[in-house]
Amino acid sequence: MTETTANAAPGPAAEPGPAVPPDTAVPQDTAMPPDTAMPLDPDMAQAAIEHCYEQGWSDGLPLVPATQPLVDKFLATTSRDPDEIIGTLEQVGRDCTVYLAAINAAMAGCKPEYFPVVLAAFDALMRERAARGGGFQSTSGPAPLIIVNGPVRKELGFNTAGGAFGPGFRPNMTIPRAIGLIVRNAFGIVPHVLEQATQGVPGRWSICVAENEEESPWGPLAADAGVPGGRSAVSCTLTRTMEFVDNRHTPNHEDVLRDLADSIGRLGPQIFPHTPVALVLSPEHAQMFADAGMSKADVQAWLIERSGRTAGQLRRAGKGEVLRWTGALGGPTRDAESVPDEEFHRVLAAPQQIPIVVAGAKNAAISMVVRIFGEWSGVATPVAEKK
Amino acid sequence: MPNAILDPTGATRVQRKAAAPRAARRSSLAGARVGLLINTKQNARPFLEEVGRILVEDHGAVITARHTKLNFAAPESQEVIKDLAAEAEVIVTGVGDCGSCCAAAAADSVVLEAAGVPVAAIITESFRTTVEKMAELRGAADFKYATTAHPVAVLTEEQVKARAASVIDDVIALVTDPSAAE
Repeated sequence: MTETTANAAPGPAAEPGPAVPPDTAVPQDTAMPPDTAMPLDPDMAQAAIEHCYEQGWSDGLPLVPATQPLVDKFLATTSRDPDEIIGTLEQVGRDCTVYLAAINAAMAGCKPEYFPVVLAAFDALMRERAARGGGFQSTSGPAPLIIVNGPVRKELGFNTAGGAFGPGFRPNMTIPRAIGLIVRNAFGIVPHVLEQATQGVPGRWSICVAENEEESPWGPLAADAGVPGGRSAVSCTLTRTMEFVDNRHTPNHEDVLRDLADSIGRLGPQIFPHTPVALVLSPEHAQMFADAGMSKADVQAWLIERSGRTAGQLRRAGKGEVLRWTGALGGPTRDAESVPDEEFHRVLAAPQQIPIVVAGAKNAAISMVVRIFGEWSGVATPVAEKK
Repeated sequence: MPNAILDPTGATRVQRKAAAPRAARRSSLAGARVGLLINTKQNARPFLEEVGRILVEDHGAVITARHTKLNFAAPESQEVIKDLAAEAEVIVTGVGDCGSCCAAAAADSVVLEAAGVPVAAIITESFRTTVEKMAELRGAADFKYATTAHPVAVLTEEQVKARAASVIDDVIALVTDPSAAE
């Protein structure tokens, strides 16, 4: 008998093989759910899914109807009290408890064993000033970028290889969706009402990258963010867009760095003195830099120095106002018009404004520049083990 | 009995705010101490300054407070609200022209009204729904505010002045009640 996907055990992510056509007429005697003696009832399942839509709980895709026995399995994976408040959005007077997070994670399609990662991801997200301060309501429509490090990647079957930004893998897809459902349902931030995204970000609530630590020449992001020792941890920030840098023909690593610097310094995102990015390097690019003797810090320093535009370029794009800050937002200002055209305006000021992650397959030299909304906290959250 | 489907919104946890009191109105702005709560959005300052100028020159008001929000996306602290309520009898705030700042303007307005200060919040027309929802969450389901066309950020100095002039009647109507006793 072939295993149904519903009963597949968690394990290392399978190689993305050819799609198997779904067996659309599973005989009743093989369609037994794992822990009851009742046959599966697809008609009732459909009715329950429609019920969830009618309540206004869905992000547009079908939800798994959550029941107490299912949610109890989620709660059993954590030592945290179900009533513990894990996030508050003061401006709307709403908060989220462990219990509400578990319901939303179940509805998102998570397996119970993913729940500690959902909690870590939510903690990491709520460290972000922009997330607490109105980001979910913003016209920018920012998307969380969730980065997973450590053994939990293999234990739960995250995709750590090709197609790092998805789709195709249950933990990578359902964990960010759980975060989106928490924001929608527990915080009450619903599109067109309190959520005012002009266009939003493609892939909002579906971006969860498990770092390809095995093919990275450097340490994991979590180690740069306060969780060393190869422990499982989640980092998260809000992002506004991402753009690929395809550069696979030059043998010169500085050519690639110049190419990355061009995208990082792009005019479009510039509205504040600094415009941080997360750099998601393909293993090939990362290894090229390492082979040239560069550490992660060296790559960051190179790009901080050279990513930006001149004052004249900013002015010709109607963005000369960016020049009025001499340092960070809220810091000292000057007369923007007095800045000479040839002065170079750097968009990055510190390594924390350019975290580097290695992700994807080692099959092409393609990397991604992900634009951060606001500032990344720089702090990862360990995935808690149940005591 | 099948298991119940659980509600992911925590509806039972959501505390309905009691209806927030609305400040008493004056019959006119003659002699009124007016404060400007400026949210730092592009053109918000010249817009509110022009509204203030007209209220002073044509309606006898006095500008007694100018407060610039540190974070346009967040409601002001209780200390700031208290200071504003002490320094001004009427507040004009804005310009709410984004998702978070218009909601924050609504939240500030409801709290100031409860502190006894009539408020005229100026919001761009694109954000009616979110302003009304935020006010409702704060206990002011019938919140009234002034609107101006979106966008404001790209207007020239002259256009900002024209816009300010065009909302003056609405601003005055929001913060006064001609039938009120002096």
